[in-house]
Amino acid sequence: MRGITEPMSSPGAATADLTARRYLTDLAAGERRRLRLAVLAGTVAGLLTIAQLVLLASFISGLLVEGESLPALTPLFSGLLVVLPLRALALYLQETLAQSASLRIRQRARRGLLDHLARLGPVKLTSRHSASLASQLVEQVEALDGYFARFQPQLWLAGLVPLPVVMVVLWLDWLAAIFLLISAPLIPMFMALVGMGAQRLNREQFAAVARLSGHFIDRVRGITTLQLFGRTTQATHEVHDAADDYRQRSMRTLRLAFLSSAVLEFFASVAIAVVAIYVGFGLLGYIDYGPADELTLFSGLLVLLLAPEFFQPLRSLSQHYHDRAAALGAAEGLVALLNEPPDPRRRSGGAVPASARDLLVELEGASVEHPGRGRVLECVDLTLVAGDVVAVTGPSGVGKSTLLQLLAGFVAPASGRMRLAEGLSLAWMDQRPLLIQGSLADNLRLAAPDVGETEMREALARAGLGELLAALPDGLETRLGERGVGLSGGQAQRLALARVFLSRAQLVLLDEPTASLDAETEGDIVEALQALADEGRTLVIATHHPALMAMAKRRLSLEGTAASREESHDATS
Amino acid sequence: MMPPHDASLWGSLRPWLVLLGQRRDRLFLGALLMGLTLLSAIGLLALSGWFITATGLAGLLLAAGMAASLDVYVPGGGIRFFAVTRTVSRYVERLYNHDTVLRLLADLRSRLFAVLSGLDAHALSRRRASDWLNRLTADIDTLDSLYLRLLAPALVALLVILGLAVFLALWAPRVGVATGALLLLGWLWLTLGQARLGMTASRRQVGDLEQLRGRLIEQLQGLAELEAYGSLADHRVRLAAIEARLYRDQRRLGQRVALGNALASLVVGLAMLLALWLAAEAWSAGILSGPLTVMMPLAVLAISEALAPLPVAFTWLGATWGAAERLNALEAQQEEVATPLASVQLPAGALSVTLENVTLTHADALVPALAEISFDVAPGQRLALCGVSGAGKSSVAGLLTRQLKPEAGEVRLAGVALGAWPASALTTRVALLTQQTDLFDDTLAANLRLADPEASDARLWRALGMMELADWARALPQGLDTRVGEGGRRLSGGQARRLALARLLLREPDLVLLDEPFAGLDAETATRIATRLDEWLAGRTVIYLVHQLGDTVDPPGIDRCLTLRSGRLCTNGQDVSG
Repeated sequence: MRGITEPMSSPGAATADLTARRYLTDLAAGERRRLRLAVLAGTVAGLLTIAQLVLLASFISGLLVEGESLPALTPLFSGLLVVLPLRALALYLQETLAQSASLRIRQRARRGLLDHLARLGPVKLTSRHSASLASQLVEQVEALDGYFARFQPQLWLAGLVPLPVVMVVLWLDWLAAIFLLISAPLIPMFMALVGMGAQRLNREQFAAVARLSGHFIDRVRGITTLQLFGRTTQATHEVHDAADDYRQRSMRTLRLAFLSSAVLEFFASVAIAVVAIYVGFGLLGYIDYGPADELTLFSGLLVLLLAPEFFQPLRSLSQHYHDRAAALGAAEGLVALLNEPPDPRRRSGGAVPASARDLLVELEGASVEHPGRGRVLECVDLTLVAGDVVAVTGPSGVGKSTLLQLLAGFVAPASGRMRLAEGLSLAWMDQRPLLIQGSLADNLRLAAPDVGETEMREALARAGLGELLAALPDGLETRLGERGVGLSGGQAQRLALARVFLSRAQLVLLDEPTASLDAETEGDIVEALQALADEGRTLVIATHHPALMAMAKRRLSLEGTAASREESHDATS
Repeated sequence: MMPPHDASLWGSLRPWLVLLGQRRDRLFLGALLMGLTLLSAIGLLALSGWFITATGLAGLLLAAGMAASLDVYVPGGGIRFFAVTRTVSRYVERLYNHDTVLRLLADLRSRLFAVLSGLDAHALSRRRASDWLNRLTADIDTLDSLYLRLLAPALVALLVILGLAVFLALWAPRVGVATGALLLLGWLWLTLGQARLGMTASRRQVGDLEQLRGRLIEQLQGLAELEAYGSLADHRVRLAAIEARLYRDQRRLGQRVALGNALASLVVGLAMLLALWLAAEAWSAGILSGPLTVMMPLAVLAISEALAPLPVAFTWLGATWGAAERLNALEAQQEEVATPLASVQLPAGALSVTLENVTLTHADALVPALAEISFDVAPGQRLALCGVSGAGKSSVAGLLTRQLKPEAGEVRLAGVALGAWPASALTTRVALLTQQTDLFDDTLAANLRLADPEASDARLWRALGMMELADWARALPQGLDTRVGEGGRRLSGGQARRLALARLLLREPDLVLLDEPFAGLDAETATRIATRLDEWLAGRTVIYLVHQLGDTVDPPGIDRCLTLRSGRLCTNGQDVSG
């Protein structure tokens, strides 16, 4: 038994064998009604096109062959005037319905992905580039648009609309119909061949886009360092190379993607040419087999006009074929993310035995492993009760941060036991505090959404930012940027501390809270942390600083890879 | 017809049009291919209609026993010709034009990065990192539509409409003028009208996507805190609000594009009917032959291919405009590079540092970061500049590396005004360890070689050894090729700091600025590292930027200490023995 923590049944666990196709199908299923209505509207538009061409051929035949006067042809002309707007309306409905379905699907897909990321947790995400991941959640989800808004309905239309077209042609001239039917099955075959290659290339292209954005944000973040080392020229070349690599990948995809539509263009063009020449020779009486001698100007012209309409839905489909390839490529990336299993034991607070009501956390020989890095924390024993103040010390890289992550539930122990009190609330502060774009108040409300202005001011003062706040004309409404632009490193850290003060958390996990503060401020912070402890909160502080170690009631020192569980009680000097 | 802010639309796009002009041969050829494809499509349908009608009418005459002659081979050949050119030119055109555009993109991306590299610390700090990401990818990708989706199709469609009108007018002037006029009206609506309809919403798109991305990055990077505080749901609400606005606009734009597409099909249909009716009238009047009467509406019908790409492209014109504006704004921030005096005599060896009444105020800051600061450091001396965070230490480092320029006063290195230093000399002779450890998502070796691309593996190992990272690195399965993760996230804070120090050791600067060199290191490690650092620092001028001395482990060999408080020096020239 690994402890009393039970694996949490996670919805993500069931998706282990999710494939890109399956993912897209599942997404489409949610909007089946809208997509079907879009197909219906498209079919109506196709039928109206046929009607339009029948009327047109009748008009011409009536005029040229039957020699009817223009006034006598007015009803046919009026018919055309009615059909045209109706067809435009049907097209409008098809497009808007499909688009609305696509919007809902993308919204749902993004929500699902965010849920999954939340289940994966912060430690699993550190191995991924957050800009690449963000680009996946923005671009790859948006890349699904064409598939649902255009490809999916068109796929149906490509099967439905040619049917009535070929039926009309069959009625007019069966030989022409046979020609159309012979060329038709070749098209999907060609397209499937071409599409398969395009899809693989598209996937590579998505990887290239993600790499490109990851590469770029990384270089931009460190642009000052690049300037200092005089390496900006080289970095610029690297950016050019990355972009050129992207071009080459894109061209490979496009060469194939365009080929599929070229195949169709070819068939559509040849069909018109062959039908025109067949009909022309038939009308002249040069062809004396089959139905050719029954051709009239009406039937001949209508067959000619219908021939491109037979191919039109397929041509549109091939134009949207890259939408499918793009969506499949994107879906593969997203599915890979969704298939990454969350640690089922993560965040699964087990009940602490009743005999120890005030126990918050119990670790017994707990160790943590990261894939590729091996064991990052060796057998730790630790018991935390309410009001404990524990300093975690040891040389850098020994796993102090990992211990805090374990306590926070970001990682599960690989071995040993961990027990958590039920409903344990946490506060967290690490070496890279999160600063969101927004006001100072927005940043504070992260820790406690409902706090009032007075409490915020008090928390800022306790974290040593009182003077700064007083100097800001916009006060709590002062805007901060990414990575706390406008704040120095120490100020950012103090802001994160202010959040700790604001939160009502029982267990406060602090990773190097005073790493960039001067002794005077550190003293203030230690005092404030002491006040927190006096409130009965439990503090676990990873630190090197003697002042913090001094305030701790206990000290847990981690030492290298050798199992270390040395716990010196009452380490106060 | 044109929106009132058109001048600025034109103004924003102009630099990019000029840039496009540099590749005008490729663009011209691409447009030509586009036109050829369209003409083949029109020719194919029109000639086929003409041919069928001609044969049909001749067939009727023959059937009636009258003499009729018709050359079937020339039109037949024409039909086959158009069928082939349509296919081939379309494929070649698409491939050629996309290659052109992507070539342009690669140039643009690197050019933009060069612009960013030229920005000073002031301008850099104002921008968020994800803005830049977006600038380089989305904005430039949006600009690709300028030629391929906007200019070329609109221009080609216009020329084809005019060409068709003239062609029809040759046979029947009324048909040519009337359908030409109707199609032109349609063209105007599908370009200018649609652009106006979609301008506001499409202009917002890139910005909203950028915000969405920014929020996502925040959420991913700050997941630890968000999860611990249970405020992930609140942050998700912020995300959802941006997404909702984004999709509201997309819905609106989609409806307008659909409207444009429906109108395009309606306009072509109506123009076809107009051509049919007028041609029929002309036929009745005996002006026009039967085959030509049929050819005219069919030729008009085929023009739908020219109009089809316009609605979506022009409804989204605002996105291109917005992208152009943002890129222009960024380029405008680039300060002209000061050209240093041709020949400056720079003495070799450790540099002296002089600050004289230097004042510096950061953008959007309330108080100056530095107020009338003056101090000197003699060559080889080690100065500790103390002060709490925000006191102005990093600003001094920024000034000495010319990342920042003083508003008033002068900074001199080796007696030479900093402005006169050639950039290359400055980067070689002045080294700065920034407070924030900047590591790149690359291998250990690549991060170290930033300091010296030529450095041998042995040198890298030596530097790692000095910072006590060699044993750790050797134990890694991939050794020097281990990737450090985004911003060095896969390393612990202390390892990242020591790696940044090791990187510095690969250089041979004459002035070294160390901002909190031992931040995040435990006392024992810091003490051992200080000893080795001391040797390396010998013979160089050093400025330490530290919070306070005597706190944990002091940097080695401090000769003097100055304290900054709120941008002012409060102790002057206090000597520290030892």
